[in-house]
Amino acid sequence: MGSVKVQNLVKKYDKATALKGVDLDIKEGEFYALLGPSGCGKTTTMRCIAGFEKPTSGEILIGDKVVNNVPANRRNCGMVFQSYALFPHYNVFENVAYSLNIRDLYSGSMGQRAKTFARLMSRRLSKPTKEIQRKVHDALEYVELGHLAERGVNELSGGQQQRVALARALVMEPSVLLMDEPLSNLDKKLRNTMRTTIRRIQQDLKITTIFVTHDQEEAMSMADHVAVMRDGEIVQMATPTELYSSPKDPFVADFVGSSNIYEGQVMETNAQGNPIVKITDNIHLVSDTRTDKKDVKVLVRPEGIEILRKGSTVKSENVVEAKVKISTYLGPTIRYDLELEGMDVMVEEEFQPNTTLYAEGDTVSVHLPMERVVLI
Amino acid sequence: MSNENKPKGQNSKLGDWFRTFDSLKIMKWSVYLFFFLFLVLPLFSVFLVSFTGQPVNILGSLVNPDIMATNIERLSNASLEHYQSLLGGGTYFYALRNSLGLAISVSILVILLCLPLAYAFARTTMPFKKTLAALCTIPLIVPTFISAAGFIIMFGRTGWVNTIYQSLGFDGLLINAYSMTSIVLIQVFFFFPFALWPMVAAFKIADMSLEEASNNMGSKNWTTMFFVTFPLAIPGIISAALLIFTVSFSDFGTPIILAPDGLNLIVVEAYREISGFFNWAGASILTIVMVAVAAIFFWLQRYITKNKDYGTLSGKPKGMRLNDSKWVTRSLLVYTCLILLIPMFVLLSVLVQSFATTWGADFLPRGFTIAHYATVFTRSGDNIMNSLLLAGGALLISMIVATLVSYFVVREKTSKLDFMSSIPLIVPGIALGIAYIQTFNTAPLQLTGTAFLLIVAYAIRRMPYMIRSTMGTMMAIKSDIEEAAVNLGASKLVAIITVVGPLMLPGIAAGSILVFVTVIKETSITVLMAPADWAPMSLMVFQNLLRGEVYTASAMAMLIIVLVIILQTLANKITKNSLY
Repeated sequence: MGSVKVQNLVKKYDKATALKGVDLDIKEGEFYALLGPSGCGKTTTMRCIAGFEKPTSGEILIGDKVVNNVPANRRNCGMVFQSYALFPHYNVFENVAYSLNIRDLYSGSMGQRAKTFARLMSRRLSKPTKEIQRKVHDALEYVELGHLAERGVNELSGGQQQRVALARALVMEPSVLLMDEPLSNLDKKLRNTMRTTIRRIQQDLKITTIFVTHDQEEAMSMADHVAVMRDGEIVQMATPTELYSSPKDPFVADFVGSSNIYEGQVMETNAQGNPIVKITDNIHLVSDTRTDKKDVKVLVRPEGIEILRKGSTVKSENVVEAKVKISTYLGPTIRYDLELEGMDVMVEEEFQPNTTLYAEGDTVSVHLPMERVVLI
Repeated sequence: MSNENKPKGQNSKLGDWFRTFDSLKIMKWSVYLFFFLFLVLPLFSVFLVSFTGQPVNILGSLVNPDIMATNIERLSNASLEHYQSLLGGGTYFYALRNSLGLAISVSILVILLCLPLAYAFARTTMPFKKTLAALCTIPLIVPTFISAAGFIIMFGRTGWVNTIYQSLGFDGLLINAYSMTSIVLIQVFFFFPFALWPMVAAFKIADMSLEEASNNMGSKNWTTMFFVTFPLAIPGIISAALLIFTVSFSDFGTPIILAPDGLNLIVVEAYREISGFFNWAGASILTIVMVAVAAIFFWLQRYITKNKDYGTLSGKPKGMRLNDSKWVTRSLLVYTCLILLIPMFVLLSVLVQSFATTWGADFLPRGFTIAHYATVFTRSGDNIMNSLLLAGGALLISMIVATLVSYFVVREKTSKLDFMSSIPLIVPGIALGIAYIQTFNTAPLQLTGTAFLLIVAYAIRRMPYMIRSTMGTMMAIKSDIEEAAVNLGASKLVAIITVVGPLMLPGIAAGSILVFVTVIKETSITVLMAPADWAPMSLMVFQNLLRGEVYTASAMAMLIIVLVIILQTLANKITKNSLY
């Protein structure tokens, strides 16, 4: 019922091509994030799934049904808009009840339909049915807004509006929940709370969710799967951990976290069959990424680099000397900007209370463990 | 859409078309049909009739081959012969010449009259600005045929102004009410607000820094005003003049009451051709000429304002230095009051007459009574009711059409509809009336003489104003609110009705009141098209004036004015937009 498949989706506008063949395979109950910079096509993909845009070619399946020709109002996709798109002329209750009222408008006897229509036009004309009342209150309780049902939506804070939008989408029991940058209008603290709330609800209801964002932290912390998009194409689809540890592409590597990226050539393989990469004449690193390529990009995450202190076990390989340029204390971590034969190296080290911080100008030995040296 | 996935490949196009053929599309086509039937078709058939000289029944041709044959024969005999009287020496030539002369002199006089006024409102600290600005809108409220009637009370053979004039020892009349002069005066003093506010805007926009530069270089204030301020405001002034030209050229109320027998004006001529002689050819030619002239001037005006960016006109421009010289502000105050005094006197004359027992060649009436109002309410209750019903009907039609048009234009960028719905701006009322009467004179759509056609004519004529009002609110509604409704299961039409509609309500309400007001004031279409059993208040005033029942006419006129003021105030309250 709730799986979503997108096959070779292409969307062309008069001049530009927004999507150049997007494939997605989202399992039922999965939390899927579309991640990418603005203009990469992530929102267009979502709007095609919701039915607001007509794809130029390609197919969209919800469940096992092709929905290309199903109008947006019959796709049963609940959507949370970036701006929330709450109806300003309705109060919280009426906003959430909207989809239920619309459902009643299309079914039932003429008398009931007339009543429903009257209710949609003004709350004074007709009272909501028992069933609607129950469902709306459940949905509002779920997002912890039960007490605000009679408020006008413009009297709510940003976070509360967001919850109303979520409840409004959930109350229709959608087969897919679509969220378009839902957290981008909230402040940082609220964003963290909402992240947990959304994730909790998603896990509770086991609802297939597609989440569009440009914030890698959001995508990585919430989603089961992340698709990174660029220029109308999907660059990589993977779990957050995979994406972080073995990005397919420097763009992905850079997008999903800060990283040191260098050019290098594979020179030979060592006894274990691991490639040895030359970065400069003096720096050769062993990596455990097997590759056939000769020219490679070498990616080392800042927290993957270890600064060797006196007394620590001496490593045989991947140890180099570097000079401290800047040291920044960030609270839980310390960041060192090092210089290594004219190249910048970023290192992030966990802060331990009893260690001394290195100062500018100090020379340190750093170890780049082979499993953290990723070749792309 | 990849066809290979569909079993019936060749049918898919038709299938798609049917699938997407939702209620919204039906609405769109209905709106198109409405404009085609009641705007494009009438204007087009008038165009044809101006060549054939005989009615051309386009709709009939579509359903009946016999009518088609007759029409084709008539069309094959089409010629330019009817246009000959437009040439030098013809009656229409003089009518056009007089009308152009009238419109040109009114435009020039209005601009001259407004220059100090606009300067006073835009650039000085003249006292009582707000009050005076409010008073300046009053002339626009009064239907012109009522102002004309008021003018007769003042300058008629026994008018009180002429009475005073004669008692001062002069001979004859100060001004003859039934003359070109009085038509010009009425139009100047009742149309000037149309030009005033654009001119105020033009004066405000003129670049202050240039003026300061001029002053720095040693120019005196007044030199700066004449050589820098005025020239900078010229595009705005020209645009205002063109607007006045169109308004004056299409005005029917003033000339029909005041034009003397010897004075041919195109609107009056057209009215007589159609309602007096049923001269199809003549009426159509005059209609075409009127539309053409109005269109040219309308286009010119658009063209001039197009390149002007008034978008920066939010609030006061930075560093605006207002002239606060006592001598200047006080003389401008006196001037403004003098200008306003004339429309006020006209209105006052109507008011006094509505309470007068008899008012002959004296300064004041012989006695006062409320009998005329009693008569109006007892005898003409139906007319009041008719006015309200007709205006209500027109309001309903324009409300629905305008809401849909704004929706399609804003959301679906349907520029064709935008263009079509602005056509009524260039069609003078009398021209629209003639086009309607000719087009809907025979089967299959025989509507001439029905209240329905009158209502449609009102609605079409005021459609642009309604659309301007609804379009503004429509643009303020973000499209994702509507998408949210669709996402929650509503079809587009249901989304429009339940979400877009209620959010557009303020715009719709304001527009509706304006439509209602203008319909109640409307003269040309009413006089031409109103069926006897549906006579509205304005027609009643008009007929009473022609019959010489001036006192009841005045009472009824006052009623219209009061109604209009109340509704207009209401509309302003709703939109909360002030002119200054």
